[in-house]
Amino acid sequence: MIRLSQLTKTYGSGSLAVPVLRGIDLEIGDGEFVAIMGPSGSGKSTLMNIIGFLDKQTGGTYSLNGEDVKQANEKQLAGLRNKHIGFVFQQFFLLPRLNAQKNVETPLLYAGISKKERTARALGLLNKVGLKDRTGHLPSELSGGQKQRVAIARALVNQPTVILADEPTGALDSKTGAQIMDLLTELNREGKTVIIVTHEEEIAAYTDRIIVLRDGLIVEDRKVTS
Amino acid sequence: MNLWESFTLALSSIWNHKIRSILTMLGIIIGVSAVIIVVAIGDGARQQMADDLFSTDENAIPLYFEQTTYEENGEMMWVEPPAVTGEQLDAVKEVAGVKYVLGTNSGWGTMNHNEHTADMEIIGVDNQYFIAKDLTLLEGRRLNTRDNDSYSRVAMIDSLTRENMFAPDEEAVGAIIDINDNPYKVVGVYESTLPPEFRHMEEFSNGQMLMPRTLISMMFGSPEIDTINVIAEQPDNLTETGFAAAEKLTELTGSEEGMYVAEDMSAYVEEFDSFYMTITLFISSIAGISLLVGGIGVMNIMLVSVTERTREIGLRKALGATRGQILRQFLIESVTLTSLGGLIGIGFAALVTAVLALVLPFSPIINPVVVIIGILFSSMIGIVFGILPANKASKLSPIDALRYE
Ligand SMILES: Nc1ncnc2c1ncn2[C@@H]1O[C@H](COP(=O)(O)OP(=O)(O)OP(=O)(O)O)[C@@H](O)[C@H]1O
Ligand SMILES: [Mg+2]
Repeated sequence: MIRLSQLTKTYGSGSLAVPVLRGIDLEIGDGEFVAIMGPSGSGKSTLMNIIGFLDKQTGGTYSLNGEDVKQANEKQLAGLRNKHIGFVFQQFFLLPRLNAQKNVETPLLYAGISKKERTARALGLLNKVGLKDRTGHLPSELSGGQKQRVAIARALVNQPTVILADEPTGALDSKTGAQIMDLLTELNREGKTVIIVTHEEEIAAYTDRIIVLRDGLIVEDRKVTS
Repeated sequence: MNLWESFTLALSSIWNHKIRSILTMLGIIIGVSAVIIVVAIGDGARQQMADDLFSTDENAIPLYFEQTTYEENGEMMWVEPPAVTGEQLDAVKEVAGVKYVLGTNSGWGTMNHNEHTADMEIIGVDNQYFIAKDLTLLEGRRLNTRDNDSYSRVAMIDSLTRENMFAPDEEAVGAIIDINDNPYKVVGVYESTLPPEFRHMEEFSNGQMLMPRTLISMMFGSPEIDTINVIAEQPDNLTETGFAAAEKLTELTGSEEGMYVAEDMSAYVEEFDSFYMTITLFISSIAGISLLVGGIGVMNIMLVSVTERTREIGLRKALGATRGQILRQFLIESVTLTSLGGLIGIGFAALVTAVLALVLPFSPIINPVVVIIGILFSSMIGIVFGILPANKASKLSPIDALRYE
């Protein structure tokens, strides 16, 4: 359960201060499938980064599963990212010199999981995302869609509760994008909380709830009716 | 992520930038190998010198006459060493710690036998020589007091002469040989004590010969005793014993213009040591500068690497890496880099010393302590110069790092 109240984020200070988030009140329950939309520069990525513990809010509170994370130090934040969050980025962000399997295993290295289990989990997930026969390939030998599948497998490998995907289909053609969305939908059905940022209505239509941001404020929060 | 995984990760990252890594390691390689090579050469030379100085007779020390007056009425003066007699040497033998005092002389003669001709050194000895030098008698008898007293025209040949100048089945003892066109009788054969490197020299290839020193003095018109060696009871007290013996001999000969002194071999070694210490310090300081420059090179490359890998660092943090884990990864990478440089330096030094052993008249000796210091030092450089870049990497904010273009 993610709960934000009066959450603000301001870059810079004094006369140069740029308020990016200006008081977000939001609750996302476990197992929800949410799309965040809004014009460019409205603060979508900033919000995602705060939810994902990559960034810290300037004001307000953020609690995950009932715990206020304001007090968390650097190391605890790393632990929270590692345990609870799976990131999927628009630019995939795979490590170019590692093959698909090793890329998927990376979060497990930091969680201190044994090699045997790492291999088993990585291969299992690559199989699940349909890359059974690509496990030894380097990112440069994979298509965009395949790269994003590897990234999704990596996001899942630590069995997080929340998947954060900032424009996961932004760098893909619509057909490949649809396949990625099918995959995310399946994950949501299996119980993961999935939050995506997107500019496209068709992509947002896969989700159950659309939140629209404008100038750092939530201007719309609606259920998707199919 | 355990140490081994960090290490393999570091190795693969070094491997991915082979040329850059080698260039970075160069300073370390040169520094470490220079120190190892220089110390190995020094140790080898010192060992050789000690061998040369002490090998023939570990507990023998020569006494020689040193004049104390050089001028008379404004003119350069050459002081003739006093004639030393066997009785005087017998008195010196009574000095505490002295086991034997060997008075010898020598000359070079041309030996003719069985159509063979050879120039060889003839050492004039007394009856103690054989025992004092611990020679091995192979055939016949030793030279005795009577031989000296009566100027007997007898000689002992060594095993080399026996081999080269006599037929195998020929009786050597009792044979009459011809030296400088005069006949002498062989009374014994002894095992040659010439070191192997001497046997290759032409003038020693046919061995040496022993004759009564009185006879040599007569043959060559030389003093009966021109070389004096003191053999100590305890090799440890060699120098002290030598000094005491020299003092006694000076007293006995009563020379006004000079004195007997013992050659202080340990002084040579000490002198060499201090000379070599200077060179070692000099090379080491150059090597130190090389290591310092190498270390700065490592720091520079690591900083470049951190910048290049900003996104990777951001991503690893997003995936849950802590500051400590990132710091450790980069620190291990720089330590691996410098240690590898140290190892290559050691390998290079081993190669160079192996080649030098073929070229130099002695073999350099690699000092394991220096090798271990080399490894430790190069790893330490990795820590010292890696800490700054590693710290920089660990402090990157994940979000800024991910956004880095
Ligand atoms: N480090 C920063 N320093 C200053 N301003 C920043 C920083 N990061 C983001 N901003 C500003 O915050 C605002 C929101 O940025 P954000 O990336 O959240 O927008 P977004 O909604 O994700 O836009 P897009 O749809 O283009 O991705 C922008 O105006 C941006 O310029
Ligand atoms: Mg964005």
